[in-house]
Amino acid sequence: MYGEPVEVQTNADGRPVRFAWRGRLYAVHAVIEHWVVNREWWRDPDAVLPRPAGPGRPPVPGQPEMLHWRVEAAAGQGMPPGSYELRRDVSAGTWTLRRVAD
Amino acid sequence: MGHGREVTASQFTHLHVASSYSLRYGTATPAAIAARAAELGMSALALTDRDGLYGAFKHAEACDSAGIKPLLGADLALAGTSPGPGSRKRSGQRERRVTLLVTGRTGWASLCRLVSAAHAAHIASGDGDPAVTREQIAAHAAGLVVLLGPDSDVGHAVAARRPDLAREALRRWHAYCEIAVEIVDHLEPGSTFRAARMTELADDEHVPAVLTNAVRYLDPADSMAAQVLDAARHLVPLGSPRLSPHNGLAYLAGPAGMIATARRVGAATSARGAAAATFGTVASARGGGRDIAARLLAATAELARRCELDPARDLGIGSHHLPEASLLGVAGPRTAGPGTGWPGREQAALRARCERALADRNCRCARERLDHELDIIARTGMASYFLVVADVADRIRERGIRCAIRGSGAGSFVNHLLGISAIDPLEHGLLMERFLSPVRATLPDIDLDVESARRLEAYQVIFDAYGLERTACVSMMETYRARSAIRDVAAAMSLPPDEIGAIAKAFPHIRAKHITTALAELPELKDSRVTAPQLDLLFRIAEQLDGLPRHVAMHPCGILLSNRTLLDRTAAQRSAEGFPLSHLDKDDAEIAGVIKLDVLGVRMQSAMALTLTEIKRTTGENVDLDAVPRDDKPTYAMIGESRTLGCFQIESPGQRELVKKLAPRDVADLIVDISLFRPGPVNSDMVTPFLRARHGLDAPRYPHEALREALRETGGVVVFHEQVLRVIDAMTGCGLPDADLVRRALSAPDGPERTAVWFRAQALARGYDPVTVERVWEVVAAFGGFGFCKAHAAAFAIPVYQSAWLKRHYPAAFYAGVLTHDPGMYPKRVIIQDARLAGIEVLPADVNFSAGEWRVENPDLSSRTDLHDSQAIRVSLREVKGISDAEVARIVAGQPYTSLRDFWDRAGVSRPVTENLVLAGAFDSLYPDSAPAPPPLPTGPSPCPTGPVPHPTEPAPRPTGHAFRPTWPAPHPTGPASHPVEADIYEISVARERRRAAGEAGVTGKNRRQAQPTRRDLLARVGMLDRGKTRSAALALDIFGAADDGMADLVPAGQLRDLDPAERVAAELDILGFDVSRHVLDFYTGLLAGLDVVRSDRLDGCRVGDTVLVAGVKVATQTPAVRSGQRVIFATLDDAAGLVDLAFFESVQDRCAARLFGSWLLLVRGKIRRAGEGPTATSVNATACWDLSALEDIRLTGGMAAVREALAREPSVPNTPIRTGKHIFSNGFALSPYAETGGPGGSLKDAPRTLWHVSPGSSGNPGAG
Repeated sequence: MYGEPVEVQTNADGRPVRFAWRGRLYAVHAVIEHWVVNREWWRDPDAVLPRPAGPGRPPVPGQPEMLHWRVEAAAGQGMPPGSYELRRDVSAGTWTLRRVAD
Repeated sequence: MGHGREVTASQFTHLHVASSYSLRYGTATPAAIAARAAELGMSALALTDRDGLYGAFKHAEACDSAGIKPLLGADLALAGTSPGPGSRKRSGQRERRVTLLVTGRTGWASLCRLVSAAHAAHIASGDGDPAVTREQIAAHAAGLVVLLGPDSDVGHAVAARRPDLAREALRRWHAYCEIAVEIVDHLEPGSTFRAARMTELADDEHVPAVLTNAVRYLDPADSMAAQVLDAARHLVPLGSPRLSPHNGLAYLAGPAGMIATARRVGAATSARGAAAATFGTVASARGGGRDIAARLLAATAELARRCELDPARDLGIGSHHLPEASLLGVAGPRTAGPGTGWPGREQAALRARCERALADRNCRCARERLDHELDIIARTGMASYFLVVADVADRIRERGIRCAIRGSGAGSFVNHLLGISAIDPLEHGLLMERFLSPVRATLPDIDLDVESARRLEAYQVIFDAYGLERTACVSMMETYRARSAIRDVAAAMSLPPDEIGAIAKAFPHIRAKHITTALAELPELKDSRVTAPQLDLLFRIAEQLDGLPRHVAMHPCGILLSNRTLLDRTAAQRSAEGFPLSHLDKDDAEIAGVIKLDVLGVRMQSAMALTLTEIKRTTGENVDLDAVPRDDKPTYAMIGESRTLGCFQIESPGQRELVKKLAPRDVADLIVDISLFRPGPVNSDMVTPFLRARHGLDAPRYPHEALREALRETGGVVVFHEQVLRVIDAMTGCGLPDADLVRRALSAPDGPERTAVWFRAQALARGYDPVTVERVWEVVAAFGGFGFCKAHAAAFAIPVYQSAWLKRHYPAAFYAGVLTHDPGMYPKRVIIQDARLAGIEVLPADVNFSAGEWRVENPDLSSRTDLHDSQAIRVSLREVKGISDAEVARIVAGQPYTSLRDFWDRAGVSRPVTENLVLAGAFDSLYPDSAPAPPPLPTGPSPCPTGPVPHPTEPAPRPTGHAFRPTWPAPHPTGPASHPVEADIYEISVARERRRAAGEAGVTGKNRRQAQPTRRDLLARVGMLDRGKTRSAALALDIFGAADDGMADLVPAGQLRDLDPAERVAAELDILGFDVSRHVLDFYTGLLAGLDVVRSDRLDGCRVGDTVLVAGVKVATQTPAVRSGQRVIFATLDDAAGLVDLAFFESVQDRCAARLFGSWLLLVRGKIRRAGEGPTATSVNATACWDLSALEDIRLTGGMAAVREALAREPSVPNTPIRTGKHIFSNGFALSPYAETGGPGGSLKDAPRTLWHVSPGSSGNPGAG
């Protein structure tokens, strides 16, 4: 279990393609699972509130979510692949490595 | 096979969608969802609300407007799986649900019956929410497709990784009914895995798998509101493990999004079997996934196509489904359908009945009118409708329930001949076309007013006559408004309960979406704590809940009547009152083509019924109110003096002013009066020209000679809808039915603009000159959709006249009726004071003389036989706080009582209520000396009680039996030092009461009378009786006789000090809600005299513009729509001499609003106002106000000088007006968004059950601010 910031490169869909962690570059072979969790906005007094569209005003996008990706990745050719869980905090624009399972 | 092409086609139909009619679950209205689906390019849309069909007909309408095909279904819980609110089951134990989709008319009937069964089972089991069993679904399987999704038992087994159980469950369903597996993937942890496994399972079992998004809102942004609704539904705070996590993806996704989901799920399936075979290649995960996605979408499209409904064929929309002719005593089958122009059996029966009624009228115009109306009825096929309503009205009257028509139905001569309506439309120039016209195919509305106290009895009459399969009550949705939304959001966010209450109550009754605006604009909110920034989040979420249904309730008056297929066309459940409650609301009823009959409970009808009963009981006279001549001069004289408190519709401050100016002379004038007192005429300023013409100050002016006939009755001013119809007809020659359509079009947002073109062209073509056309058009356009249907006003005018007539001729009985059924806008104290000022004595509650209603009594016992001119009324037992109907019934049944013990033994009344009766003086007549002439008012430190109602300090229980002697301190001998006050009517009444009661109770010995217990003594005795520490009643009676009951030894008379006058009034206010023994203002005599306060009976003598001080009990506040668009607060004070009417304009609200709404007793400074010419009423334009009791505190500490100084500190210069977003109508009328919303806090009608003394720190301190 980790909570370290990582740098992640994504494709056009927002899917991680490779990420850098502890000085090594990991290539994503496959997405094993992808899920989305909302923040607990009621505990967050500074929450930027979304709004549905009203007459004459566009919708404000929803409370940014946490996008989780569990991927199979390896740090270079020939290295054994492992399972990594990456989390994207959309509002903060950051990536975190949450878990590693070999 | 072009699977690949289908995947990319932009067609997708949502099969599983919850609207806001899934209570506390969905957030979007059916109309919004259908509009969005059309925007997304979809050609059809299902609505599958949870647990009900409340949104079904709205969905059909919305799809029609959006140009897409409707599908219908329901999302139902499976019985025995619901954890239920408050249960302690773990969060993993979520209930199992399935979704049922309808194919065709059979399927719709099955679903209606199934949903009704779900609700019936829920009632039967008394457990949680509606639910169905698999067996029930099987029994109603015809035409239904069961979707087994993630929440079904199949889905749960898959998620639990028990494919064996999942397969077993699926096969069980398959044996019962047609099924499809529902694939949903909201990208929750594990949801893609579950979706893939369910797809594979369906494939293996050869069951179609369809894709849905289990939609519950339009956009991801709405998910916060959905989360709050989940919390509110489960009664837990946000973040509770009982709530399923949310990620905002259950929205109405577009085709592209759904195709992406299909592909994701397909990719997650293991490629094998059928998938691989179709491609005929070696299965690759990607290729097989594509194929599975394609098949998922194709199966979805196929099921959607099968479930598309035809609103006319499948839902019966567009036809009328009226009760069978056989029920109406019309024999044989229908011989012609509606709209054919051929009279059917019903038409013949209707004509025959009308002809019989017409027989005694020998007038050609009546005959012509009847033929005309019958022709319209025949052409619209409404004959059986009229027969049904006539039958219902007959049956209600046969039961002895007063019943009157309301609304435009009074315009129909047929209704009059059938006896439904007491109004003769020919006499008052009322039009049939305003009610029913051949150019509108909708069912007309006939509303019946019945006695409010017997409304449910009237319902029962209808249910008995037509049977449960044809009859149901109309439902309505209670929706989130500001206060309820704030409560639920705050609770979800875990705020403390007392804080939630305080925040919610700070708001007036406004819509939730106006919360933020109200905070910025309303003076009474601007200064309060609720503007704290940390509440911002709460308020903004609360605004999102605006208008969402939260609770199904019985509509206050609507009843549906149809034929025996009613329950195949809509579901029904049981209402809290025990009646079948349809899932149709009042708008749906019209769409569904069933009769909606409004049976309104009208308190005034009950009040008049009791008045008549009291007249009969006390005088033996049988007054036939409906036969009373309607030209009684004394009655109109009373109305013209605006002595109309308690009368129907004309008691409000504005109406009291208007009737004084108008001085009605007949029913026609009353009709005009009622019509003028509406936003339309007020905002178009018709009142002034009308009054000037009426009083001969101006000659009537007609825009054109051709309109003279239509406008003569109102001096050239347009007042009624009927006149608009006639004007449009006269100018354009379009005929009355079309003129009514034009009138209706005028109220549409852009109606006037669109109509203007047509109107001008038609009128010019008929030869009217352009100037006239413009002038008339302005009048017509200004009238717009406002104004009043004359038939409505005519229907109202009858009870207005009847109530006024009763008040004029049988005042005591009338006051008893009004006080019992409380029909008006004022608290009872106003009516009580009005009765006193009319010379009627108000007698206190009494265990021997009071009944369940207010009663007329002869105050002088010696002449009890002659009750005809009795001039006293007795407080009803029901006024006593906490008393139950059963207790009232037992008390009345056991009368008379000889002693407190006798009462205790026989009446079976609870201790708190008995104590309340003692404190309110209901035993005083049994113990006459406990009511000595009220001692003079004390001048001690505070003349007002500052604590709660005095209860005795009960002695500690001393179980010493007969030898018991109280040990508490000796009583006060006389009370504090005192000064004399003038004797008043209340003291006289109390003294008289005492004398009479003394005679009644048969007390003989003078020595005994000197030793009568005080109210506090009696309270102590109640305590002893309750603890059962006394000898048996029989023994006591043997030894001590009637008036003494063995209690004297235990709590000797005079042991405890009696209540002083202030304490008595405090007890009355607390227990009865009004003051009986004296007026609360009496306690402020010193203060008011020192300030030269003007009493209401002297205001007429003041000059316009004079600055005066007035004072009194606040009895009404209103914020009606007024012409300027300002938010004007009108308030009324009761000052013992009568009422003072006040107006607070926006310029003074900044500093007055908080005190005005926060205080009960007010001192107000303002200027005398009298508007208009001719007879006028006096009111006061307020410039400053104070809390009277706060001023009294100042007087007691600093003397009158300090009070005058406090008053002088208040500025008299108006502030800048507050800016509010006014709604400006096309005719220039501006409406404040806060009009008609009332003030913050509770209802004024109930408010005064508290002490009048405000707590320290209230906003009433003139020094503050």
